[in-house]
Amino acid sequence: MQDIKHEVYLRIYNLLDDKSVKIVEDTPLLGNDSSLDSMKLVELCIELEDLAGEIGFEFDWTSEAAMSKSRSMFRNAGSLATEFINQMDASK
Amino acid sequence: MIVVTGASRGIGKAICERLLSKGLEVFGLARNTSNLPFPSISCDVSSHEQIKKLVSVLKKENSKVTGLVNAAGIASMNLAVTTPPHISKKIIEINLLGTIYCCQLIAPLMMRKKQGSIINFSTIAVALGLKGESIYAASKAGVEGFSRAFAREMADFNINVNCIAPGPVDTDLLKGITAEQIAKIVSQQIIVKQYTPHAICDLVELLLDPKSKSLSGQVLHVGGV
Repeated sequence: MQDIKHEVYLRIYNLLDDKSVKIVEDTPLLGNDSSLDSMKLVELCIELEDLAGEIGFEFDWTSEAAMSKSRSMFRNAGSLATEFINQMDASK
Repeated sequence: MIVVTGASRGIGKAICERLLSKGLEVFGLARNTSNLPFPSISCDVSSHEQIKKLVSVLKKENSKVTGLVNAAGIASMNLAVTTPPHISKKIIEINLLGTIYCCQLIAPLMMRKKQGSIINFSTIAVALGLKGESIYAASKAGVEGFSRAFAREMADFNINVNCIAPGPVDTDLLKGITAEQIAKIVSQQIIVKQYTPHAICDLVELLLDPKSKSLSGQVLHVGGV
């Protein structure tokens, strides 16, 4: 699980313009404190789709359920990694 | 691959045939896909879930989607006060929500490659405010507004989004409209001529061509208004 979490964090980091930012559990992904703009967030979702494909499941960031809890899902790096892992586990 | 909605009839079918004749790979969406001579899937564009399933299929097949043409649409030529609510709802669901859902769900396939062109369909009825087409025009005005804003959202991904707004083109959609009514609408165009689906196909070809890469967020009125 730590490996997957690290992979999610790495993909967030790769999209940052400011490479001095350290990705930790509560690194914000939304709002004024986020280092990612909305378009980068979409790019991140696509990256995570690809990562999920490599692992063998489908990461769904477009369902009504995902959208309705999107603010919590994208609240920070930790919540996004948790959602990713939950979807991976649910697919087993 | 170009994904075309409304692929079994009218303008959508003509677009598929044109693109195929140019050697392009086409994937059609329609409610009834039986007898379509190209890869297609039966689906209702107003169903978010059905479009999602289609996208899953395209992902699994590693399809390289470079274009989306949202040609699916319905019309009901009635005064607003005599249009039953379920018809109004259906027009908005298919014309507006169908376009939005297809864009939302299919665009990410192009965003990944940072390449693509999306063509949505409006109507001359929006610009002219045609009597008896208020609900239809409302749905298509929504498509125009959505397309302009979506074009900005897609620009960073090198995806162009434009609308084609035809006048009365000879398809099933014109059933129930008299020749006099058609002539009256055509007379309000800059170029006073009723166009065929071929003219629409020409514009689709243009908008899918990299030569039109400088066009985005535009509404192209066929015949001019």
